[in-house]
Amino acid sequence: MALLKNIHTGKVSINGQSVTYYDSGESTVSGEAVLLLHGTGGSAENNFWALFPMLAMRHRVVALDFIDPDSADPDAEHYVQQVLEVIRTLRLSGITHLVGYSFGAVVGAAVAAHHGAFLKSLTLVAGWVKTDIQQQLRNDIWRTLYDENSKALAAFSVFTNFSQAFLNTKNAAEMEGLIKAVLAGPDRSKKMAFNRTVDLTNDLPRIRIPCLVVGCTQDQTAPIRHSRMLFGGIKDCRYAEINTGHGVVHERPSELFAMIDAFVRNAHDMPTGHILKNSHA
Amino acid sequence: MNTAEAKNTTDTEILIIGTGFSGLGMAIALKRAGKRRFLLLERAHDVGGTWRDNTYPGAACDIQSHLYSYSFRPNPRWSRVYAPQPEIHQYLRQAANEECILPHIEFGANVLSANWDNSLEKWVVLTAKGKFTAPVLISAAGHLSDPAYPEIPGLDSFQGKLFHSAQWDHSYDTAGKRIGVIGTGASAIQIVPELAKAARHLTVFQRSAPYVIPRRDHVYSEAEKGMFARFPETAQDFRDELFWGNESRFPQRKQVPAFIEMISSMALNHLRQQVPDEKLREKLTPKYAIGCKRILISNDYYPTLMQPHVALCTDGIESVDGNSIVLRSGERVDLDLLVVATGFEATDLPIAELIHGLNGQRLSEKWRDGGQAFACTTVSGFPNLFMMLGPNTGLGAGSMLYMIETQINYIKEAADYLTENQIILNPSPAAEKEYVESIYQRSAGTVWVDGGCSSWYLHPKSGRLTALWPDFMSQFRHENGTFSPNGYLISSRRPIDMEGLGTEV
Repeated sequence: MALLKNIHTGKVSINGQSVTYYDSGESTVSGEAVLLLHGTGGSAENNFWALFPMLAMRHRVVALDFIDPDSADPDAEHYVQQVLEVIRTLRLSGITHLVGYSFGAVVGAAVAAHHGAFLKSLTLVAGWVKTDIQQQLRNDIWRTLYDENSKALAAFSVFTNFSQAFLNTKNAAEMEGLIKAVLAGPDRSKKMAFNRTVDLTNDLPRIRIPCLVVGCTQDQTAPIRHSRMLFGGIKDCRYAEINTGHGVVHERPSELFAMIDAFVRNAHDMPTGHILKNSHA
Repeated sequence: MNTAEAKNTTDTEILIIGTGFSGLGMAIALKRAGKRRFLLLERAHDVGGTWRDNTYPGAACDIQSHLYSYSFRPNPRWSRVYAPQPEIHQYLRQAANEECILPHIEFGANVLSANWDNSLEKWVVLTAKGKFTAPVLISAAGHLSDPAYPEIPGLDSFQGKLFHSAQWDHSYDTAGKRIGVIGTGASAIQIVPELAKAARHLTVFQRSAPYVIPRRDHVYSEAEKGMFARFPETAQDFRDELFWGNESRFPQRKQVPAFIEMISSMALNHLRQQVPDEKLREKLTPKYAIGCKRILISNDYYPTLMQPHVALCTDGIESVDGNSIVLRSGERVDLDLLVVATGFEATDLPIAELIHGLNGQRLSEKWRDGGQAFACTTVSGFPNLFMMLGPNTGLGAGSMLYMIETQINYIKEAADYLTENQIILNPSPAAEKEYVESIYQRSAGTVWVDGGCSSWYLHPKSGRLTALWPDFMSQFRHENGTFSPNGYLISSRRPIDMEGLGTEV
């Protein structure tokens, strides 16, 4: 399965590790690019199988597969460097619209706080500011199931990742498919360890580029309050909500696409503090 | 116009042709905005358009009813996910009645011609019920309204009973009969399972196999309906979920590999699970890219074809002789009833034959290489004419109500603008050309153009995609949901001459 028919795949080398990136390669009139950062359970392909091709109908789109460090306790800097290396290699400095989803939003916020000059704008989807007690509880349950090699681990991830409405549209075979997809995904252990101690409190005031925060109303993994706080803590920021669980990239990629596309194309139409209205069918 | 003529002429501000979802929806928007001077011309004697005409057994919508209904008239009590035709028709009748649209409808007023009169600065519409004039004409005649028949030698002289799916003869008892159905599109696959229940023998004549996916249908419980009624926001949430679900499938039509893989495997797994017989399955396996034609949804079509008294014929029809279908193989299939389920005149809209713009130009003449319109709604050379569900407004996967409501808003704003400013709107040829170019650019790389099938989505002469909107639905609303005078040639109306205008309505 490929993100696009004629996608360019390449590698960058950073700290002795090889990071794969994907580039739609189609330069738009603006010459700018959208760079997608995936979440905890993801790779570029399994998080952005829908969003990438949608955005690629209008923009040059790039995504990468994060590589975990060998050390047991990864810090943000490790992942930040991978993002910067891709930007440097593809000569996208200053023309990158960075879009981070979940774990990728945490990394994206760190990039924007410390290397804002590389970026044109920042979009944080289903991110969070500081891991709270509810999130630690979920993280601890996950860790216990992981350490026990429990069969319930994948189902637990599905249970916490999607909204009730989304799961209720699935038949038995499709539910099994969702669980299988988690089992087939990359190991999450290092990123889950990272997730347990996130704290962007001091980073948010340093973000000076135009920003869009998108929160998911039924998110159990990074509950909506976190997105509202991101919006509260970032100076030049707009805000939108989508009525899904954490897995918005699977549940409603088109609405997410429409918001990112509108922001990237017309950020100037959305003043700081602007709250995007959902368009109803 | 002389006095005698004026007497038989009804003058109004806005004329709407048709009372289906588009025409009624447009009328409701005008009524709610406080407009009183508008008329709807309806050729039949009831409202409902395609939902009035298509009464064949098993008729239902392929789009979930909570989405396939007016956003401004939600119905919490839909009986099931995909409501059957009588329920949809009833919904429209009730809307017409409760919104007080009925007094604005002229029934039995089949439109014979509609001409822009440059001296009157009005549209002059001749109908079976007399002459109507108005500065604004809205065609809401639909694109699935006029039955299309296949070109088969001898079809006209078939000796048994014959009717089109859209003109079902309910006085004819199908029980115990030898029945043939020509076509395997959206109507046919709903009809076939119903006819099979009582037929002696049923033959389905297939030209190309459709892709069929499972129908996720269920009857709503009283608790669900009560919830929708008591918490209207739950119905709106559901509607949004359905909309974005369809919207998220658009990259299928752009042939994005992951999307194609997902939908193809859904369809082919459905076929494999429902049809164990390899020979039959081979016949039912489509030979074109998925999405090139409409993807159908059904749980009972395949099982019906496996019944012993049902046959799927793929040999091709040579001709009709007596009460038999003669196949290319020379074989004959004797029938009592032949149902033609080959769809509608959707590529060349019949209404375009009747509309004449500036200098008497016929719309069908302007559209001889396929329909095209500025903002998918207005046509250069046809002042103050608005086409609902005209060129490039169809959808591969989605609710037409979204397109209709987008156009309602555009047309309402345009009509307000030209009334307030006493002007005439005519899109400039350059603006129309530029807009249409952008549509063709977006069509490139879509499965409708590249998918290797023959469908009503492409115009037969030019091969252009004229029926469908080749982008996200939300983009359609973004582009065409609000009126702007940019791109229009605007001329002022002459001061109103109150004489000779006929009866005002």
